[in-house]
Amino acid sequence: MIDKRLFRLPGTKKLILMLAGLTLLQAFVVLFQGKYLAEALVNSWEQKSLQTIIYPMVLFALAFVLRHLFNLVNTKIVETYAGKTSENIRSQLLEKVYTAGPEMISEEGTGNLVTSALDGIDLVENYFKLIFTKLMNMSIIPPVLLVYIYMQNVASGITLTVIVPLVILFMIILGLAAQSKADAQYKQYTILSNHFLDALRGLPTLKMLGLSKRYAKNIYTVSDEYRRRTMNTLRIAILSTFALDWLTTLGIAILAVFLGLGLINNSFPLFPALVTLILAPEYFLPLRDFSNDYHATLNGKNALNAIFEILERPSTAKDDNLADFTWDKDAQVDVKNLQFTYKGSGEKAVSLDIDQLKLAGYQRIGVIGKSGSGKTTLIRALGGFLVPDSAEIQINQQTVPNFKQANWQKKLTFLPQSPYLFAGSIAENIAFYRPQASMDDIKKAAHAAGLDDFLNSLPKGYETQIGEGGRGISGGQQQRIMLARAFLADDRHVLIFDEPTAHLDIETEYALKRPMEKLFQNHLVIFATHRLHWIKEMDYVVVMDNGQIAEQGTPAELSRHNGAYSQLINNMRGDQL
Amino acid sequence: MNFFKTFKHDTWVKPYIKQYKGLLITALLLGLLTSFCAAALMFTSGYTIDKAATPPVNILLIYVPILLTRAFGIGRPVFKYIERLKSHNWVLRVTSDLRTRLYKTLESDASFFNEHHKTGDIMGLLSEDISHLQNLYLRTIFPAVISYLLTIIASLALGIFNPSFGFFVFLLLFIEVFIVPLVSVSIESARRAYQKEVKSDLYVQLTDNILGVDDWIISGRKEDFNNLAAKNIHDLDQSKNKSKAFRRNRDFVLQLVFVALAICFLIFTNLTMTHNQEQANFVAAVVLAIFPLSDAIIPVSQGFEEWPTYRDSILRLNTVKPVPNTLPKQVAFNPDDFKELTLDKITFEYDSDSPILIKNFSQKIKRGEKLALLGPSGIGKTTVLQLILGDLSPQQGQIKINDLDISQIQENREKIFSVLNQKPFLFNTTLMNNVRLGNEQKSDAEVKMALERVGLKDLVESLPDKYNTIVGENGSRFSGGEQERIALARILLQDAPIVLLDEPTVGLDPITENDLLETFFNVLHDKTIIWVTHHLQGINHVDHVVFMNSEKIEMEGAPEELYQTNSHFQKLYKMDQGL
Repeated sequence: MIDKRLFRLPGTKKLILMLAGLTLLQAFVVLFQGKYLAEALVNSWEQKSLQTIIYPMVLFALAFVLRHLFNLVNTKIVETYAGKTSENIRSQLLEKVYTAGPEMISEEGTGNLVTSALDGIDLVENYFKLIFTKLMNMSIIPPVLLVYIYMQNVASGITLTVIVPLVILFMIILGLAAQSKADAQYKQYTILSNHFLDALRGLPTLKMLGLSKRYAKNIYTVSDEYRRRTMNTLRIAILSTFALDWLTTLGIAILAVFLGLGLINNSFPLFPALVTLILAPEYFLPLRDFSNDYHATLNGKNALNAIFEILERPSTAKDDNLADFTWDKDAQVDVKNLQFTYKGSGEKAVSLDIDQLKLAGYQRIGVIGKSGSGKTTLIRALGGFLVPDSAEIQINQQTVPNFKQANWQKKLTFLPQSPYLFAGSIAENIAFYRPQASMDDIKKAAHAAGLDDFLNSLPKGYETQIGEGGRGISGGQQQRIMLARAFLADDRHVLIFDEPTAHLDIETEYALKRPMEKLFQNHLVIFATHRLHWIKEMDYVVVMDNGQIAEQGTPAELSRHNGAYSQLINNMRGDQL
Repeated sequence: MNFFKTFKHDTWVKPYIKQYKGLLITALLLGLLTSFCAAALMFTSGYTIDKAATPPVNILLIYVPILLTRAFGIGRPVFKYIERLKSHNWVLRVTSDLRTRLYKTLESDASFFNEHHKTGDIMGLLSEDISHLQNLYLRTIFPAVISYLLTIIASLALGIFNPSFGFFVFLLLFIEVFIVPLVSVSIESARRAYQKEVKSDLYVQLTDNILGVDDWIISGRKEDFNNLAAKNIHDLDQSKNKSKAFRRNRDFVLQLVFVALAICFLIFTNLTMTHNQEQANFVAAVVLAIFPLSDAIIPVSQGFEEWPTYRDSILRLNTVKPVPNTLPKQVAFNPDDFKELTLDKITFEYDSDSPILIKNFSQKIKRGEKLALLGPSGIGKTTVLQLILGDLSPQQGQIKINDLDISQIQENREKIFSVLNQKPFLFNTTLMNNVRLGNEQKSDAEVKMALERVGLKDLVESLPDKYNTIVGENGSRFSGGEQERIALARILLQDAPIVLLDEPTVGLDPITENDLLETFFNVLHDKTIIWVTHHLQGINHVDHVVFMNSEKIEMEGAPEELYQTNSHFQKLYKMDQGL
């Protein structure tokens, strides 16, 4: 019902204490509300004058108002808590994304997981809002009322006590039946419910195939089939609510009859009978509230679970112990026996097994291979975005277990296939690695990246705001902004490229080549690509196959014999003109 | 009041309220009966015990009230149960109609996709809008109507005994079910709209930041990363807190009005019903009957609050309008007679803001010829394909098949053109069904044959469900290259003389790309092909290359010839091939 991990969240214990106090107060005002209403009604029944009911009536009104005032305070406390806690969870998630994000995102499907977790925060907030109040109401208000009812009339007390377990039993039985029926239909169900969206998205295709007109009939048939199935499931699914309703109202009806019979036999006066009758609906109310919001709480609970799962993922060991150093023409990195395996949520396992690799000075190292050969995995391991299971790594003679070292990452510039531009001005985006850079430096970098013409065409120039993800700017210009970013970050001497031009058309790519070659100077370049022309710019090539280095050497050496390199190049090139 | 304005020109909500009137009235009646039974249960129970406490009494005197108490006790949950079923049934029936209508409307408007394919997932939005309408009925309209009916019936019933008290009660109830909801929606409406906007921004922001986290980590700007969305989060929280506070206070006010109502009933019954015992026996009955009504009355405001969401959906759906058929008289055309496709000096632009501009563009493509179309992205290569298909019409110039204008042969267009684009759409059904969409007359054996020709036989037969494998949402069960092959099999069954390829290999690695192009040109060797591509891989398969550039053709010719004579082409080709 309630996740134990909830109690670990800050403020939960305090919240529960406060709520318990408030709910207890609420229970008593509910009781008083019923008591004084009954008193007023008994006086009217005895045909007494208006004066005699003023006192109980005012107290009734006071109790009623207090009850809702307590409720207001209760809601306020809970909402504040829910807001704060879910915010707290959001920032924890972001923190986690920063510390362990790349590893998580590299894992298949986890990127989605993180976004959906963020998406689920609203559900979680709602869950917090509901769960504490409802549980507290259910566990405090009925017992208090029941004690009072026993004091007034034992038989009524027994009736009400007996009904509750019955209600719960019925709800469980019917709830399970509904669940199993829903489960059995679920798969068919999602297909049916997504059918319409599928058809809308596929409409252009249907049109091309000349089927779109006839398909309209299908839409209605499927939608009606969906209606039929939904109704079938619903009939059972809402049975549990029905049972709850039925037992509670029947409980009240039975109570009224018992009380009537008791009164005929003169076993007790009117007041206890009336107060019992008035309090009976209040007694059942928390239970009904709880079951009404059951589904909302269930969704929230699942969302929270997903978040906890991410937060509880083990963080990579904190082996960030690389002392600061400078990357210059004599610097070098030695990698030996690097092993990495990850079994993704899909069927493909990502693995890497590097015997030996050396990066030195201002070398240009091309990484090639067919798709799935491990190019990207290698690049990401070198960038410190993946932490290998084991490796012997030496960076300028310092031994480190992985590349996730702040002082190594400080030397890197990363240019992925789809550039990351954040919401802000173009100038801010260029100054990404050096937020304090002067406007002059930014302009020089933009010039070097060949952005002048583009910037001149914009009315606001450098101050043009770009949307998140660089929306509204063509792929070529996005890459140029990334290049300007790299030009500006002249204290970073290691460039890592991951297929930067794969999505661009040939002429744009051609135009980008010159500024990129300029950027290569005085940098260690690690360049993963399947565009052949870049290989000519490299002085060393690593050919990946199946997570291993199949061959490495200078292009000239490698092309001299018919090894992995030559075969790959031939396959990539295809037939010639 | 924007409420009425929204419905003024609405054709998506109002007409459907009239449809299935019987079912709708049943559902509303049942809702009313539920509330009635709830009140009547308390009424008869109150009366039963009052009566039982009045001597002299015997069991026969309270026999009828006891019976009624039981009946109402059972009636309430039963009616509520049936009401929920009926109202859902009604809503789902309307949904089927709405879906069919939305589909047909979109179907009539081919250009809708061209205009909107850039603005994100418009289809997802529209389909969500329809589910919003479901909630509009279930959460707002039904409860509101039931509460109004209750208000009127209760006030009238009381008015029969005492007109002025009836009127007074009507006023109090009117505040509860009409004034407060209206105030609430007018105050919250703008706030909700604002929250929705900030929230969708925030969502995009957070998603993007997760995608860009690599860059943030190496930049070492952890603080900045954490603060990226801070402003939006802060603004959203502030606004949400205001909404929450408003809601709490509003609910409190609703309860205050309700307690005033209860007090009025207490005083009224004391003043008018205490003249003899028989009357006094009804006091508790009347007063207790009003409490269950709060269940129906208090939530009305909450239902109204969601109005801004519904309004957006209603407005958006109303922008989707059927497009009148403006095609000229259609002419029967036998695809076997196709000889040549002519683009004669066509000029096209969407509007002056759009970068896409096609000026004076001419081409002649003979049967069996293969043409490649290149050029920077956003220049209008895909637009040319849409013009050829007749989905768009050029502002000047003409596109002809033999001697017929393209607009004259739209009726059976699928017999003439096949299209394969970047992300071919696969329906979430079996592989067999997907391929057979190309031609529903074809036998299982022919479908399998097509899959074999596109080189998928071995793969498919290795799958547990073989040809009955479900392809998943958007074909996700298969890789990009495989999806292209499945779509190609579909085209083989369609067997149209002209095939338009719109960057079918973008995003694939060169080896997959080579294999795929090899297959394309191999199985389509007898077709006329117009192929939009972004680089020169596989260019040897075509007879003619056209490089489009803003406003003009930059260069064109047979690839071998261009390679010999055009140095720019030669440079590009060498770069592409890494020579």
